[in-house]
Amino acid sequence: MQGNLTALLITSFIVLSVVLIGFIAGRDKKNRSSVEEWSVGGRSFGPLLVWLLVGADLYTAYTFLGLTSTAFAAGSIAFFAIPYTIIAFFVSYFYLPKLWEVSNQHKLTTLADYAKGRFDSRFLSLLIAIVGVFMLIPYIDLQLAGIQDTLTVAGTGYINIKFVVIISFLLVALYTFFSGIKGPAYTAVIKDILVWVIMLFLVVTIPIIHFGSWGSMIDKLVVEAPELLTIPTTGPKGIPWFLTASLVSGLALFMWAHAVTGVFTAKSADVLRKNAIYLPFYNVVLILVVFLGLAAYLVLPEGSDPRFALLNLIQMSYGGVVQGLAYSTIALASLIPCSIMAIGASNLFANNIYRDFINPNVKPEKLTMITRSMVFVVIGLALVFGMLFPTALVSLQLLGVSGMVQIFPAVVFSLFWRNQTKEATIIGLLVGLFTTFAVYATGNSFGIYEGFWGLSANIIALIILNPLFVKKIKNKSNPIIDQLFTKQ
Amino acid sequence: MSKKWIIVILIVIPFVLMLGALPFVNRIHPIVFGLPFLHFWLFLCMIITPLCTYFIYKIQKSEGSID
Repeated sequence: MQGNLTALLITSFIVLSVVLIGFIAGRDKKNRSSVEEWSVGGRSFGPLLVWLLVGADLYTAYTFLGLTSTAFAAGSIAFFAIPYTIIAFFVSYFYLPKLWEVSNQHKLTTLADYAKGRFDSRFLSLLIAIVGVFMLIPYIDLQLAGIQDTLTVAGTGYINIKFVVIISFLLVALYTFFSGIKGPAYTAVIKDILVWVIMLFLVVTIPIIHFGSWGSMIDKLVVEAPELLTIPTTGPKGIPWFLTASLVSGLALFMWAHAVTGVFTAKSADVLRKNAIYLPFYNVVLILVVFLGLAAYLVLPEGSDPRFALLNLIQMSYGGVVQGLAYSTIALASLIPCSIMAIGASNLFANNIYRDFINPNVKPEKLTMITRSMVFVVIGLALVFGMLFPTALVSLQLLGVSGMVQIFPAVVFSLFWRNQTKEATIIGLLVGLFTTFAVYATGNSFGIYEGFWGLSANIIALIILNPLFVKKIKNKSNPIIDQLFTKQ
Repeated sequence: MSKKWIIVILIVIPFVLMLGALPFVNRIHPIVFGLPFLHFWLFLCMIITPLCTYFIYKIQKSEGSID
């Protein structure tokens, strides 16, 4: 299919302007003066900015493209994203404020930092850093695929897609290097406004264009594709999958390095409590967008590629200006989270792998510089993997959430359980990772989300083994344990 | 009923609605506000859960257990 030049020009114009704003956002030198300033904005963001940033972080191009394509191909199973994010924000209310208080007091910028201090264990910290970086790079690739798909549909016949994808990611790396978290934070405002305006516009107008109204679209679905409107009760992705996937993904959400980066920018624990209340409303737009995947099922010719369901639906429905605005929204929804992800991964690498294991005596200025430079390595790796090993990536992406959730006991249980030992936590984490990979590799998931098996094994191992090691730490303490468990 | 119990109930509600009740709301009819019942239910959860969070927040504030 030939692209659309108007749409392509509008997309390029908006994306370039936003990247420029990203640079301007960080023109104050203070933003690059320390790791804490660069990566978590000196912990100074209020409720609205954190809402926008975490929203920008989590509702990515992949969310919109991936969920609509799942809805297009497999129906209502795609709506698992709704309970998943609601659970994530609800549960976060109970632990993120505590985590923020500890990290604020001890100047921590990553979860691996936290584990190191909480358990006095560099090894656990290293494990968490490795899992974090390893799972995040494939996730950055998903964002890459987002912008690549947008350009493919709009730009075929006009530009060399690969070349433009590389350029746009290098631009993002550059503005992240320069501005730190301020770049994505301020551009997130633009992205979020565009997401809300454009997605709501699509949700209102697409049913009118093709069906006359929202009501008749639903009527048509009820008649022609009722199987898409409920969740299958059996099969590999039925109700048990839906429930366990929502729960596990919900617990995993704030284990991601980029989500933590967003959280640590908050200026107080109360900002996070308020955000736990407000963030679920971001789903208003998401739930309706997923319906567009179902609309695409009715509208697009049979045999269309699910991957392009939403993009093709937009091109077919509007063309030109609206298509350009919608595509730039999706492109921004892929570039801005990518920037935050790069910050998260760089931070883990520089602090918890480089400083802790390679060069412990590194000076703060040099560490800041290394953290910032890592952005190019992380985005470069993502580009290289994405272009060279696209199929290996798919497995890693499918396993990303299931892998990330395995650090949940190490990070969250330890905020409430004083006598949790590092030995049992490490074994639990490894058992959890191993179980997840084994279930995935053998394909014996019994209709349940892989990560659920892993997390169950992880927690059982932790609880059974903990008493064996608990003697050593009963009377031991450290500043973080003191802060968490000593009543003021 | 003590405040602690109210908090426990408020914690349980979202899980019951979103996970426990799901097999029973997995249906198309009745269509409410233009949404098939399953999707209407998920929409409802999206409104009720933050309300639970909000009430927990208010109770904890009034107790002074958070600042």
